Amino acid sequence: MSDQKKKGLSLAKKHNLTGWAFLLPATLLICWMSFYPMIRAFILSLQTGMGVNLNFSGFSNYTRILKDPTFKQTLFNTFFYLIIQVPIMLVLALMFASMLNNKDLKFKGLFRTCIFLPCATSLVSYAMIFRSLFANDGFVNMVLRSFGLSPIMWFGNAWTARAVIIIALVWRWTGYNMVFYLSGLQNIEYSVYEAAKIDGASPMQTFFKITVPLLKPTILLTTITSTNGTLQLFDESLNLTNGGPGKSTMTMSHYIYNTSFVQSPNFGYAAAMSILILIMVAILAILQMKVGDER
Amino acid sequence: MKRKIVAVMLASTMVLGLAACGGGDAGTTDTTGGDDATATTEAGGDDADVKEGSSDDENTLTVWTWDPNFNIYAINKAAEIYAQDHPGFKVEVSEIQSDDIETRLTTAVSAGDLSTLPDIFLMQDNSFQKYATNYPDIFTDLTDSGIDFSQFSEAKVAYSTLDGKNYGIPFDNGAVIECLRTDMLEKAGYTIDDFTDITWSDFMEKAKVVKEKTGQPILTSQAGSPDLVMEMLQSCGQSLFNEDGSVNIKDNKALKPILEIYQQMVADGTLVEVTDWDQYIASINNGTVAGVINGCWIMASIVANDDQSGQWAVTDMPKLDDVDGATNYSNNGGSSWAITSNCKKVDLAVDFMNSTFAGSTEFYDDIITKGALSTWAPAGDSEAYAQPVEFFGGDAVYAKIVDFSTKTPSNITGAFYYDARDAVGVALSNIIQSGADMDSEIQTAQETVEFNMGG
Repeated sequence: MSDQKKKGLSLAKKHNLTGWAFLLPATLLICWMSFYPMIRAFILSLQTGMGVNLNFSGFSNYTRILKDPTFKQTLFNTFFYLIIQVPIMLVLALMFASMLNNKDLKFKGLFRTCIFLPCATSLVSYAMIFRSLFANDGFVNMVLRSFGLSPIMWFGNAWTARAVIIIALVWRWTGYNMVFYLSGLQNIEYSVYEAAKIDGASPMQTFFKITVPLLKPTILLTTITSTNGTLQLFDESLNLTNGGPGKSTMTMSHYIYNTSFVQSPNFGYAAAMSILILIMVAILAILQMKVGDER
Repeated sequence: MKRKIVAVMLASTMVLGLAACGGGDAGTTDTTGGDDATATTEAGGDDADVKEGSSDDENTLTVWTWDPNFNIYAINKAAEIYAQDHPGFKVEVSEIQSDDIETRLTTAVSAGDLSTLPDIFLMQDNSFQKYATNYPDIFTDLTDSGIDFSQFSEAKVAYSTLDGKNYGIPFDNGAVIECLRTDMLEKAGYTIDDFTDITWSDFMEKAKVVKEKTGQPILTSQAGSPDLVMEMLQSCGQSLFNEDGSVNIKDNKALKPILEIYQQMVADGTLVEVTDWDQYIASINNGTVAGVINGCWIMASIVANDDQSGQWAVTDMPKLDDVDGATNYSNNGGSSWAITSNCKKVDLAVDFMNSTFAGSTEFYDDIITKGALSTWAPAGDSEAYAQPVEFFGGDAVYAKIVDFSTKTPSNITGAFYYDARDAVGVALSNIIQSGADMDSEIQTAQETVEFNMGG
């Protein structure tokens, strides 16, 4: 009986089953480690109360977000980082990538490593290093002074503090995105560039007419991951500026953390804010796909 | 077939390894322990050096606390003294920063698994009400444990008491002291007496003279940190909350005058703001400032620079001019020990505490050298407290500080203390650094705390 059944399994079905068998562990792990907590977080977001004394209260946490000036401030900060930092970083990454893709360039490996290296540093330690670089008597101010400029209280002013965060983010993540572009560039046939050269195209023209269009899928990918990462920004806000001065550099994730662990713990409200971030990330990703995908 | 098995095994170890890494990351703690800490600290499984859970050995207690030179030294010393009469007794100390202890407690309770908690942990007095209110389950009620709480100062015991129940054993004291560089005062024609028992307006004038003569600001402060403001508030018996728990920021009589003093001193250049804690300590040690006002535990950082021995003096802080109940005394910091509900040897833990922190002058005489000042009354009568300290010009500073601490007005903390403190910090930072309007910032702070409490 069982033999017959086994025989009944066609080759295609067998292939399918093998496929599913490979997918199964990862799927189960994702469901268990990712989707299950998400569902629990959603249930938690419907509860209010301090610490462990929680009661169901419907969507009151969500209406509460709309009335929260601190959340609005952190929302503004996060989107400010997003709008300024992501384009700067991606353009820089693209520039570096096309420079490093040049066949005649020497020490390519060295440059690549140098630009990618920041990515290998731990988030906390690089944040601490940037904090000491930009301290009142730190390296940056020392350099400014030696050029006869007056030192800047970087962390004393909202805009300069935000600028430091953006500089730090660009330093940390440009190399990471550059690697994606490099691998994308390597898939573009060199003959295309040669043809363009023969036709008399300027380097600028080749870049905008060949490189960018052919890299579009990669650009889309990096945009989505960067947007996603920036909306969840936490380490820099906590370790570099601690949200200060005031709350002017605090990100949404940092505020969520504070709501749970620094202030009197309000887990329901924190969960509601996390769900809101999830929704925002999803909407932005869909928008970017719609804009970027022209199939 | 064999290959397959090997592959599966490799894959599963990888998955397990990844999972373990993930778990470990969340729990790793900063263990830059000094010699004192490592002496009795034992590695606790895979989780860095943190020993989780109650100890299996019936003569060993696990402890979570921070600062090798201070709290860890104290608990090890206490264990040493207790072991003299109780052979075989020891403590396993894990060095964990105070906010990490708090995060760990929160995580354990939220997960519904208290078995990770140690037998004993130390908690900041300012946090005690928050945890006793939100998570009473983590504490062992010590009300009828046999510890005589009446021998501790009343204001101190109040921090760890909720609804008439004692949840903590008071430890050190955070009486506020004003430390000044006598050599710099001399240049400005002053002595330490000119700064004793004075008011803030007087202090600000003298500070200007010091600034003029030496170029040095008299005070240092961490930008955005409301430490100094909170100390000034408590010095006039004011809190950010009323007795009934409602927020007392907008209608607080003392808050606005205090913020004005702070603002004026920054404008005068007599108070310098630095970015973070390291720079704060550096500004004291490298002579950037002529003085500092903070809890008496700041002494440990001041004496760290031997070169300045004999150049420092200790006195009381200035008091506010026109506020009722203003004094020259305040408190910042200080902490209390708690025995967890996970402790399987409550009798041993209580007896240990009762024979040391709540019953040994020998113990307190020893830890005084670290600047750990007792809140246990009998210890204050001990001779060790009357010893002159050379670093502070041969003054009997410990006796002085004990005296300050008995005169300190009490304040109300409550479960939302940090929410309120943060809100005031934000207001201060906006006023000083962005030049925001004081009244509207105070109003915003009041609203922020009320909003947080409304959840």
